[in-house]
Amino acid sequence: MSEAAVLEQGAKASTMRPLVWAAVAIGLLVLCAAPLGISSYWLRVLTTVLMYVIVTQGLNVIVGITGYHAFGNGVFFGIGAYACGTAMVAGLPFVAGIALAIVMSAVCAFILGWPILRLKGHYFAIATVALNLAAVQIIIQIGGITGGAQGLALPLSDWDPKPLYIALYYLMLGGAVASTAIVAILLKRPLGFALRAIRDSERAAAVMGINTTKAKVYAWAISAGLTGFAGGVWAYWITFIEPSSAFDPAVGVKAYIMLIIGGMGSILGPVIGAFVLEIVSTLVWSGFLKAHQLILGLLIVVVCIVAPNGIINAFARLVRSVRRNDGAA
Amino acid sequence: MLAQATVNGILLGGLYGLATVGFSMVWGVMGVINLAHTAFITLGAYVTYVLFERYGLDPLLSMPLAMASMFVLGYGIQRLILNHVIRTSLLLSLVVTFGIELVLTDATVLIFTSDVRSVNASYASTSVAVFGTLVPVVRLLAAGLSLALGVGFFVFLRRASLGQAILATALDREMSNLMGINPQQVFALTAGAGAALAGAAGSLSSMLFPVSPTMGVSFLGAVFVITVLGGIGSVEGCIVAGFLYGLVQAWAAYWLGTSFQEIVAFAMFLGVLVVRPQGLFGRAFFGEHA
Repeated sequence: MSEAAVLEQGAKASTMRPLVWAAVAIGLLVLCAAPLGISSYWLRVLTTVLMYVIVTQGLNVIVGITGYHAFGNGVFFGIGAYACGTAMVAGLPFVAGIALAIVMSAVCAFILGWPILRLKGHYFAIATVALNLAAVQIIIQIGGITGGAQGLALPLSDWDPKPLYIALYYLMLGGAVASTAIVAILLKRPLGFALRAIRDSERAAAVMGINTTKAKVYAWAISAGLTGFAGGVWAYWITFIEPSSAFDPAVGVKAYIMLIIGGMGSILGPVIGAFVLEIVSTLVWSGFLKAHQLILGLLIVVVCIVAPNGIINAFARLVRSVRRNDGAA
Repeated sequence: MLAQATVNGILLGGLYGLATVGFSMVWGVMGVINLAHTAFITLGAYVTYVLFERYGLDPLLSMPLAMASMFVLGYGIQRLILNHVIRTSLLLSLVVTFGIELVLTDATVLIFTSDVRSVNASYASTSVAVFGTLVPVVRLLAAGLSLALGVGFFVFLRRASLGQAILATALDREMSNLMGINPQQVFALTAGAGAALAGAAGSLSSMLFPVSPTMGVSFLGAVFVITVLGGIGSVEGCIVAGFLYGLVQAWAAYWLGTSFQEIVAFAMFLGVLVVRPQGLFGRAFFGEHA
């Protein structure tokens, strides 16, 4: 993007700000009221959407802000799911399970980050994919309390299904709001500036006195903590987890695509990306039961060609070019 | 038993090497991690299956046809889609090729259903004795042809002018452009050749493994490990690393049990990435355009 375009966008952002806040407020109100008026099918769809908002915001921290393309970030989703699952099978309450999910994921990212975040570009991307795939095998090998290849059944709640699902929906909604707030706050903190400096030029950031390794490891730990939270709630929600479903690489990949659709490094982009992709793929799924993967694949390809910087940017560019033509005429 | 496991591992390693060469070249020349690569393996196997089932054509005779059709597919995808994407962001290519893989795999399911098929050549059950171990002829053929194709591609890159154009583009894209090489054309050629080699690997594996829409994806782990182990963009590295990978897998299964095969593979992968990211034969300039 040219400097002029950035300035223009900045100017526009300040005039647009009240509009954006109004849209966010209305969106939140609608989401808060939604469980009252929708079927259980759409409640499930919306819960999934909000879950992906959290996962995509987590990914935004490491990919969008730090510039490290963690293609296999879904590994922390699985770690969160298994941390919560094993804790609850061991008799701990749900709240403790969720806390453990966040802590375990963040600690794993912290430890793994020291060697792996030294890798750059593609190498880092595929190393995270390898982690994701290896985790499946590790859980199977551990067996014992994780249930191994047989999977793990979580204790059932003594709530009725309907209020339970609504409660879990609000939990996901709270998580989505919190993760978006965390990204917004992070962007204003010194760590956020350090991370963006690393994204733009790691060497320059180091020269400016930033401890790049430490900043990157913190970023990945935050990213993993958010993703782990989503995994923990998800585990309780579906009550039965197995290595192949908890560590499904598609979770990380889907979040990555949502991040591209929404626009990397922005605050609201991941929210928009998650809503667009999940709802479109749900509609495609119900409309074309047999060919839904084919259509989803085509959609991904088209989005990447037409709007590689996110649909908000593509839309803004379209509006700009229309306005410019008006001015010329 | 150990001798048997060793021979089997080495023979399978040859096939793994061939399945990887195209992936590694595409990554080395244009920095694209082609997640659709495994779909070419699957489709190559299906071409062989259809020709065998409908016309009784021997798998070894249909292999060139599988290669030709995959070349066209790989060339077309690169020309029509990927060449546009790699101009914006290289990592975007991961997502695009993921989408292409979804399309190709789902199309395979729609056309052939997800039933498991098999290709049984007349010589499928014959074995020969090698150093006191029994070796199925098809495995020997698959390994031999894989090695021959890998070496052939290596020679093509070094001797033919088209091959040298590919290597030159991998070395320095701008300079090769100044020498009159059209990078877009080279990319498409590389992608086509890579897909053709994957098609050959699929064709050969249809004789060894059941044919199903997911057969290619089962190669994905091996393809990644071998690429990184051999060094990105290095054909000779792929071939050597393929044999090494097959051997390590066979030994891991023999000493530790089959459930440890994948853990050993991933440990190898992460180990190489951390200790020697350029791989056994890789040079620093390959794959560093990202």
